[in-house]
Amino acid sequence: MSQTTPPAFVFPPALVTRADLARLVREVESVDNEFEAQKARNQATGKAGYRTPTLSRSLGDFLDLNKLDITDDHGRMVFKEQLRAVKDKAPIVHMTFAVEADPGSLAQLVTYLRKEIHPQTLLSVGLQPSLVGGAYIRTPNHVHDFSLRELLSANRGVITAALEDAMAGVVQ
Amino acid sequence: MTGLWLIFILASLAAVFLAFIWVIMSLQRLQAGPKAGKKSAADLDKAYTDIAEEDATHLFNKEFREELRNRGRLRFEKIIDENAMFLKQDLDMTISQLNDYMKQQISAKLDQEFAEYAKAMQQAQELALASLQRTAQEVEAQRLQLADALQKDVTAREAALLKVYEDNMAKIVEHYVLQALGDQFDLKSQLPYIIKQVEANKQNIIEDMRL
Repeated sequence: MSQTTPPAFVFPPALVTRADLARLVREVESVDNEFEAQKARNQATGKAGYRTPTLSRSLGDFLDLNKLDITDDHGRMVFKEQLRAVKDKAPIVHMTFAVEADPGSLAQLVTYLRKEIHPQTLLSVGLQPSLVGGAYIRTPNHVHDFSLRELLSANRGVITAALEDAMAGVVQ
Repeated sequence: MTGLWLIFILASLAAVFLAFIWVIMSLQRLQAGPKAGKKSAADLDKAYTDIAEEDATHLFNKEFREELRNRGRLRFEKIIDENAMFLKQDLDMTISQLNDYMKQQISAKLDQEFAEYAKAMQQAQELALASLQRTAQEVEAQRLQLADALQKDVTAREAALLKVYEDNMAKIVEHYVLQALGDQFDLKSQLPYIIKQVEANKQNIIEDMRL
């Protein structure tokens, strides 16, 4: 494992989870293999240049955002290794929602997190309907319960206080 | 009264007897008057005795004695009847007086007994009344204590019920909200709230990421 500090890659909004990043790394490796194969064929046939395979939208966005040229052998090898390192070291925020998370909302959320918290934040998404609403967030060392269930539980005193006020009004 | 009559009767009998004796002595003096100086004493005595016997035989013959007996009997019966009548009257009067006396005594005794009875009844009534009043006071005190205890118990129960109600009410409302909202929110509508909460805890999350 590389001990170097991971470069400050900018992840596209569509790259949300560690699985997405792993898929991206696998796709980069696949493209790299494809280019190595083409390079071997070119050496055999005497042709020059690569035929770029069809890239996924996630990889295309990643390359565009980070201004990377995937046809550059050296650069591709470097950022492939760096991307592996990032995959192992990127901070992961576990977020559990009460409803199924749609990609648009996840993209919006991860964009915010990467802007405000960490530029390479990845999400691990879970589903827990009993939360009713909000999210249950677990960072490496802390848990933040922003669910509606917790909000209601924390504000039970409001109902009691309102009832006491009402009863005090009735007694007076 | 009866003694007086008895004395009167005895006096009457004694008078009759004395009269009889006087008559006998008078007759003896009349027979002894003309021959007394001529005959001896023995003869005189004998003569007088004979005369007395003869006169007594003539005087107190059977009819005379029978008449005397009848007179005495009648007189005695009359006296006895009178005495019986007086005795009866006296007895009736005595009985009447005794009845009056008995009535008075009985009335007095009854009045006294009735007075004592009334007094005893009054005392008993007063005692009963005092006892009833005391009992009523005790019952009233116990009622007040019971009412106080019941009031405290009701207040405590009310407070306990209210507390349970308050404790459970929040849970019930929460449960209701959880059940009512359910899947009504999609993630897009919740996103502003989540971002707001993250923003509020951003510093903690950033520091946690750096560790």
